[in-house]
Order: sequence, then C-alpha cells, then structure tokens
Amino acid sequence: MGGFFSSIFSSLFGTREMRILILGLDGAGKTTILYRLQVGEVVTTIPTIGFNVETVTYKNLKFQVWDLGGQTSIRPYWRCYYSNTDAVIYVVDSCDRDRIGISKSELVAMLEEEELRKAILVVFANKQDMEQAMTPSEMANSLGLPALKDRKWQIFKTSATKGTGLDEAMEWQVSCFQFSVHLCVFMAVDTHMS
Amino acid sequence: MFAKLKKKIAEETAVAQRPGGATRIPRSVSKESVASMGADSGDDFASDGSSSREDLSSQLLRRNEQIRKLEARLSDYAEQVRNLQKIKEKLEIALEKHQDSSMRKFQEQNETFQANRAKMAEGLALALARKDQEWSEKMDQLEKEKRFLTAQLQEMKNQSLNLFQRRDEMDELEGFQQQELSKVKHMLLKKEESLGKMEQELEARTRELSHIQEELITSNQMSSDLSQKLEELQRHYSTLEEQRDHVIATKTGAENKITALEQKEQELQALIQQLSVDLQNVTAETQEKEKVITHLQEKVASLEKRLEQNLSGEEHVQELLKEKTVAEQNFEDTRQELLAATSSQAKAINTLESRVKELEQILQATEEQLKQSRAVVLAQEAHIQELAAANTESSQAQQQAVALEQQHIEHTQALEAQIASLERVRACEQATAERGMRELEQENAALKESRSECERSLQHHQFELKKLKEEWSQREIVSVAMAQALEEVRKQREEFQQQAANLTAMIEEKEQSLQEKAEVLLQKEQEILQLEQGHNSALLQIRQLQGELEALQSLRVEEATAASEQDLLRLQGPERGETLPASGPNVTSKALYQLPAAGGTPNGEVEAMDLGQLQKEKQDLEQQLAEKNKTIKQMQQRMLELKKTLQKELKIRPDNELFEVRDKPGPEMPNMAPSVTNNADLTDAREINFEYLKHVVLKFMSCRESEAFHLIKAVSVLLNFSQEEENMLKETLEYKMSWFGSKPAPKGSIRPSISNPRIPWS
Repeated sequence: MGGFFSSIFSSLFGTREMRILILGLDGAGKTTILYRLQVGEVVTTIPTIGFNVETVTYKNLKFQVWDLGGQTSIRPYWRCYYSNTDAVIYVVDSCDRDRIGISKSELVAMLEEEELRKAILVVFANKQDMEQAMTPSEMANSLGLPALKDRKWQIFKTSATKGTGLDEAMEWQVSCFQFSVHLCVFMAVDTHMS
Repeated sequence: MFAKLKKKIAEETAVAQRPGGATRIPRSVSKESVASMGADSGDDFASDGSSSREDLSSQLLRRNEQIRKLEARLSDYAEQVRNLQKIKEKLEIALEKHQDSSMRKFQEQNETFQANRAKMAEGLALALARKDQEWSEKMDQLEKEKRFLTAQLQEMKNQSLNLFQRRDEMDELEGFQQQELSKVKHMLLKKEESLGKMEQELEARTRELSHIQEELITSNQMSSDLSQKLEELQRHYSTLEEQRDHVIATKTGAENKITALEQKEQELQALIQQLSVDLQNVTAETQEKEKVITHLQEKVASLEKRLEQNLSGEEHVQELLKEKTVAEQNFEDTRQELLAATSSQAKAINTLESRVKELEQILQATEEQLKQSRAVVLAQEAHIQELAAANTESSQAQQQAVALEQQHIEHTQALEAQIASLERVRACEQATAERGMRELEQENAALKESRSECERSLQHHQFELKKLKEEWSQREIVSVAMAQALEEVRKQREEFQQQAANLTAMIEEKEQSLQEKAEVLLQKEQEILQLEQGHNSALLQIRQLQGELEALQSLRVEEATAASEQDLLRLQGPERGETLPASGPNVTSKALYQLPAAGGTPNGEVEAMDLGQLQKEKQDLEQQLAEKNKTIKQMQQRMLELKKTLQKELKIRPDNELFEVRDKPGPEMPNMAPSVTNNADLTDAREINFEYLKHVVLKFMSCRESEAFHLIKAVSVLLNFSQEEENMLKETLEYKMSWFGSKPAPKGSIRPSISNPRIPWS
C-alpha cells in the first residue's frame, strides 16, 4: 500500500515510473547496462535466465527498467513484457558483426508488435570501447533503423564498462518523456484508479 | 613440214582419241586433216634428198620425228589457236567490255592507289612523324621527368643518405648521450653510493658520537657520581678524620686514661698489694685471731672443762662464764670487728676488686674500644686508604673521564670536524654533484633538445622523406603510369610501326607483287608477244602451210587427188582462212588485255582490297578494341554489380541462414497463440525454460505488485494459463493493489487441472 501511496504521490507530482525494457541478444551487455544505470558500477554478470527489474531514478524521473534475458530460447518470452512499455532500449554488441542480422530480425519482429507501437526506441551500440566496434551509423544501417516509420528512435554509442554514452541516452529519454509527461500522469492516475 | 604436221596431228588425234575426248580437236576436222596430211607425208623425203642414203633413213626418221613434233606442235598450235579462238571469242566480248573499263579502272585504281598510297604514305608518314614527334616530345618530357625524377631520386637518395647519416649521427649521439647518461648515471650512482656510504659512515659516526655522548653522559654521570661519592668520601673522610682525630683524641684520652688507669691500676695494684698486704696482715691477724680464737676456744674449752671440773666454783665459773661471755663478747666483738674489718676489707677489696674489675672491664672495654677504635681506625684507615685509592681511582677515573671526555670531546670534535669536513665534502660533492647534475641536466636538456631537434629534424626529415616518398611513389606511380603510357605508346608506336612496317612491307609486297605482276605482265606480254610472234610465225607457217596447202591443193588439184580430200581441204581452208586471220589480232589484243586484266585488275583490286582490307582490318581491330574495351567496362560494371550483390547477399545470407536456423521466432510470434510454449525451439531448451519459469515465478512472488502486474502475462504464458485464469490473476493483483473493491470471486476456473486439462508446458 505504501508503494501505491508513493506511486500515487509521485504520479500526482509527475514522476510516474517509466517502464523501460532493455532488450537485445545474449551477451550484448543488458544486465551490465541496467546495473550501471542503477548503481553506477560495473558488476560481474552471468547470463540472465529470466530477467532483472530495477528502479532507476534519473533527473527526478523514475524508471522501472526491465532487463530481459536475451538467450535464443527465452527471446520469445519478450513479448510477454511488451504491454505498457514506454521505451525499449535495444542493446547491440558493436563487435558482434556475425549476429547483427539476428539482432536486426529480432528488432524488426519486436517493432512489429502492436503493444510497442507507442514505445520509443533507443539503440545502444554497446561495447564501443572495443577496437573493432562498429560505428553507430554503420550499426543503424545494419539494423535498418533509417527505414523505420512512425517511430521515435535514436542510436547511442555506449560502453557499459566505461559508462560512456549512458547519460546521453538517458537524457534523451528524459527529454522524450517530459514531452508527454501530462499524458503519463493521466495514464498513471488512470491505471491506479481503475 | 606438212607431213610432220600431219603426223603430229595424226598422233594427236590418236592420242586424243585414246583418252576418248574430242575435247581439243573436233573429230571431223582432225580425221580429214589427218587423212589429208597423211597423204602428203611422202614429200619430205623428196625435198630432203640432199643427204646421203644412210643418213637418209636416220634423217628420215629424224624428219619423221620432227614432222611428228611439228605435227604435234601444229596440233598444239591448232589447239591453241582453237582455244585462243574460243578464248578470243569469249575475250573479245569480255575484253571489249572490260578493256576500257578495266583500263580505266586499272588506271584509276592505279592512280587512286598511287594517290591513296601517296596519301596514306604521307598521312602515315605525317602521323608517324607527328606521333614520332609526339612520342619524342613525350619521350623528351618523360625523359625530362625521368631526369627530374632521377635527380629528385638522387636528391632523395642523398637526402635519405643524409638522413641515414643524420640518423646514424643521431643514433651515435643518442648512443653517446646514453653512454654519457649512463656514465653520469653511473657517476651519480657512485656518488650516491659514496654519499650513502658517507651517510652511513656519518650515521655510524653520529651513532658513535651519540654512543660516545651517551658514554660521556654516563661517564659524566659516573664522574659526577664519583665526584659526589668523592665528596661524600671526602666528607666521610673528613668526618672520619674528625672521627679519627676524635678517636685519636679519645685514644690519647684513653691512653691518658689508660695511663691514669694504669697509674690507678698501679695505685690500685699498690693498693691491692697494700690490701693484699693488708689482707695478708688481716689474714695473719685473722690467723692470729683464729689462733687466738682457737686458743680462746681452747681456753674456753679448757675453761669449760675447768668449769665442768670446777663446778663448785660456780662463782668462779660464773665469773669465768662471765669472763667467758665477756671474752665471748669480746671475741664476738672482735670477731664482729674482724668480720666487720674483713667485711669492710672484703668490701673494700670487693669494691677495689670490683673497681679493679670495673677498671679492668673499663680497660678491657677501653682496650676493646681501643681495639675497636683501632680496628675502626684500621678499617677507617683501610677505608680511607680504600677511599684514597678510590679517590685516586676516582680521580684517575675522573682524570680518565676527563681524559675520556677530552678524548671524546676531541673525538667528537674530530668527528664533528670530520662530519663538518664530510658535510663540507658532502656539500661540495653535493654541490659538485648538483653542479654535475645541473651540468648533466643541462647536458641532458641540451642533448634532449638536440635529440628533440634531431627528432624534430628526423621527423621533419622523415616527414620530408615520407613526403618525398609519397611524391616519389606518386612520381613513381606517375612514372609507372607514364612508363606504362610510354610503353603503351611505345607499343602503339611499335604496333603502328609494325603496322606501318607491315603496311610498308605490304606496300612493298604489293609493289613487289605489282612489279612481279608487271614483270609477269611483261613476261606475259613478252610471252604474248612471243606467242604472237609464234602465232604470227604459226600464222605465217599456217599461211605458208596454207600456201603450201594451196600449192599442194593446187598440186593435188593438179594432180587430181581425191575429191573428198580436196573438198575437205577446201572446206577447211576457207574456215581457217576465215578464222585465223580474224583471230590473229584479236588473240593478241585479247592476250594482251587478258593477262593484264587477269593480272592487273585482280592485282589492283587486291591492293585496293588489301588497303581496304587493312583499313577494314584496322577498323575492325579498332572496333574490336572498342568493343573489347566496352566489354571490359561492362565486365567491370558487372563485376562491381556482382560484388555489390555478393556483398548484399553476404550481408543478407547470414541473416537468412541464421533466421532459418532460429526457426523464425519473430515472424511466427504474432501468429502464435498465447501458448508460446508450443514453439519448437522452446522444446529444445526445456531446462532453460524451466529455469526461466522458476525465475519468473520466483520474481512474481517476490516483487512489488506494480512489477508483478507486468509479470502476469509472462507467468500465464509460461504456465499455460487460460484467459480466465490470467484475468483472475490480474483481478486479484488489482484488488491487492487497490484500497477499494472486494476480492474477486473465484470463477469456474479455480481448478484448472480439472476444468481445463493441462497441456504439459514443455
């Protein structure tokens, strides 16, 4: 109940918890990014069989960040989490040129979902600290991002271990969310009252 | 002649008939001619009658042979004539057509050819000259460039050599620098080592010093202690001396006393002697008295006896008794007196003795005291001596201490001096080292500067080198390109030259062939002329023969030979006469024109054709070249396209392959029923699914309601919940999350295992 109170309270003051999904192929660095966002530290991770959910506060905005495991067998379950998602952070390993195609197909399949129609897309070209990393433009082209219609998207080059690029990405998301904050408030109140 | 001819003709006919062809000579004519000629065969013998008989046969034979030959020739000639006539007939027509045109053509062609040749030659020469000029210019340019490049190369080489030298120098400098640096470092290290040693020494010295100071302090303390002791001892000594003095005083007092006591003793001894004398007197007295007493007692006894005997004489007794009692009383008195005297004496003696004893005791005590005092004195003396010794020792110690102190002080001074000197040395060394360091640093800095300069220069040089290399490479590329172009041009030139040579060769060949043809023509003309001559001669012969024939005919007519033969001859004669004169000039002209026409027109045509062919070939080649270039371009384009497509395919293929491998979960997902679990690849990873389910359920149970709300779908998908069950779960959660509302009533699907037979999720 307290959580509800706080959520109502925060929702009344315009700090509804944004729901963000971190998706991407296995080994792209989703869990590392999640905990980098939450605690600002690099944690040692094991392959996520399942998901991790953490609340990240950034600029007085609360984000309920869901990091879903990206292994091939559990990728089909992503769609169970799509509803009420505000943003999708799609993490791609910039060095994994072999599986960029799979990444693209997963991304395309994901973006076709009706439930994610209104979600903004943030692509993290992760592992930019590596030498053979793809450039963001290269990755955007490989993922077919320029062809996306009716979708607010942005690509960021990040390095979860170095912590670069995450702030810019969060900044962008915040700027996107503040655009539609009144709607969010309404939605929050609506969901809680119903 | 005729016979020969006849024979020949006969032979010919025979020969001609044998192959079965009246191809050469018409049968009717030949037979008749043979027959007619055979009749005239005998005339030769007659005409040759000049020779001898023996020779005649041989001559005849020869003549026969000759005749045969001649006949053969004649027949040949006839044949030729016939042929020629035929040809003439043909040629006359053709010739008249061709004559002018061919001549014109020939001339025109010749002219055009000549003109063309000249033009071409000129053009070629011009082009060649131009090309030559161009090439020479290009060559000059290229050579210039080459020279320039070689000069640059030389420069470059020089520069590179300089650079290498510089580099070597640099290396040397660096080596020297490093050596110097290492030397300096070594020196520094040494200095540092020496410094460290010095410092160690210094430390040792300071330690020693401190030790010594401590020692000094301790010795000072000791000395102070000792001095204190000494003072104490001196005090003690003074007290002891006082005591001694006192003791000496007491001793003297005691001695005085002793002497006094001895005097007293002597006195006392004198007294004692007196007393003893007295005693002896007393004893003698007492002995006397005792003797008296005994006498008296005897008297008493005698008296008593007398009393006893004199009992009657009581009065007397009484008087005696009285006397006795008086005596006894007297006795008693005396006795008492004696006793008193003795007692007094004894008392005196006792007192004296006690006094003596006392004195003796005092003496003894004094003696003892003396002894004691002596012992004490001795002890004190010993002590004093000891003290003195100690004093001396202490003084010695003090002296020693002082000496030590002095030594220490000296030592310390020395050490301090040493330290100072060492410090000075150290300072000097440090200063020198610093100076050296500074110098070295300066040197180093200078070296570094020089090095940096050198590096800069090196870099500059390297940069220059790079630039030059680049330039060089560019130049090289350019030169290579130029060389290639040159080579191409050269090749082209060579090709052109070859072509020109070929052309010239061909021209020459053509000329040669022309000449040859002309020669052939001339030969043919000559031959024709010869043939004409031959023909003329033959005609002449024929005429002669005709004449002869006519003569013979006339002769025959005259001789009246067979009419048929005559008819035949007549028939033949006009024919021949008609044909042969007409054929003569025609044949010649035809022969004349035929051969040039045969030789010239094809020749001209050939040359024109050759030129055309060459041009055509050239054009063809050029076209082929252009086509090939085009095809090459097309091929390149196609290759590029293919590359692009290949790349595209390469880009696409892994996707497709992997996509196929992955059983396309993406596109299939939207089509799938909520039960994702039926998916094929989910069955593969049952364990992962189980783990996933476990994790999700665990999280669902443990996390916040707002988070759990989002997990309902996942849980219901994983556990294959029906829509009702899912809704129930949702409602329950909403109820939990909200304040209001009632708990949703469990619907029919409370026991999903019964109501909805569960499909195993995996």
